[in-house]
Amino acid sequence: MGEQKQEAVLAENRKQKRKLAFELFLYFFRIGWYTFGGGWSIIAQIQRDYVDKKHYVTNEVLLDLTSVGKSLPGVMVGNVTLLFGYHVAGVPGALMSLLGMSLPPILILTLVTYLYTWFRDNVYVARALRGVRAAVVPIIFSATLKLYPAALHDWFTYVILGAGVALLLFTDINAILIIVGAAVIGLLVSYLRRGKGGADAQAS
Amino acid sequence: MLRLLDLYWTYVKISMASFGGMSMVPLLNAEMVSHGWMTEAEVGDIVAIAEMTPGPLSLNCASFVGIRVAGIWGSLFANLGVLTPSLTIAFLVAFFYERFKKSKVLGNAMYGVRPAALGMIIATMITLSMDNYIAAGALYLPSVIIAAVSLVLLLFAKLSIPLTILASALLGILLCR
Repeated sequence: MGEQKQEAVLAENRKQKRKLAFELFLYFFRIGWYTFGGGWSIIAQIQRDYVDKKHYVTNEVLLDLTSVGKSLPGVMVGNVTLLFGYHVAGVPGALMSLLGMSLPPILILTLVTYLYTWFRDNVYVARALRGVRAAVVPIIFSATLKLYPAALHDWFTYVILGAGVALLLFTDINAILIIVGAAVIGLLVSYLRRGKGGADAQAS
Repeated sequence: MLRLLDLYWTYVKISMASFGGMSMVPLLNAEMVSHGWMTEAEVGDIVAIAEMTPGPLSLNCASFVGIRVAGIWGSLFANLGVLTPSLTIAFLVAFFYERFKKSKVLGNAMYGVRPAALGMIIATMITLSMDNYIAAGALYLPSVIIAAVSLVLLLFAKLSIPLTILASALLGILLCR
């Protein structure tokens, strides 16, 4: 359902890449000012605006881009922003999204660097930021509520979810190994299921 | 000029070797101290400030160090260094993902990857909760209250994310002592 709608939107989008790239630049420049929690809140923001409202991507694609972006070296949000921009509007979209996302933190830090001691010692700044940090988990949580139906289809996906959480929390295994391992398991399970003549795995 | 290139290359190395968040701190520390760009105490300060301010930790560190070492240009080169993996590796992957996203094989692999990705998000929430709601080994009540209020604002009042962040900042000023 959302799939077809999204295809139509994407086809329309390809016709006007430049305009879209500019729209993405403005969008990421706008939300770049308040990406807390290592940038995870940007994913929540994309989920709200571009999955729920504008249908540029599906929840499935957003999860794919997040996992890929997190597994690659470099800044996770930078990678996710670039992958998202490329998905929506090709090369110009990728570059403009990344630029838009990067400028606000650079500008803020420029200011903070010059006001370093004031900033470090100001009680009200510290309190406000402490309050903001408390809101980050609820923000990510609200996006997760929307994302989970895209990932969890059957008991097996719950096993992978549980194993992933446990491995990340209790071991030092690199995220990239977990993602690659999950991909291999996904391939194996889909293959075995087809062999048994069962329904094909939920490949979308 | 040499100094700018040095900044750029140092941050390319740090960014290439880091997979998110605090994992880059040891390498950052080693590089900054060996270049004589800052002391260990300063690195600690920067990490704390970069954690507080919006934006990814590595971009924030790059801006801070860049400006201190070589002004605005230093900041630009350091930031470009941090973004280089995204501009090269992630770009290539974006290209291949879009090419093969319709393929059955990628679809089947993603059947395993999506729950793992969700697991990654959940693990991050748990780690962040430990940092944000627990202070000196005890539950820090003001933060918990702010979290509960934010959740209500987001889910039931359907408030936008920026407005929720603003509200939590104001509550922080009022409640966090």
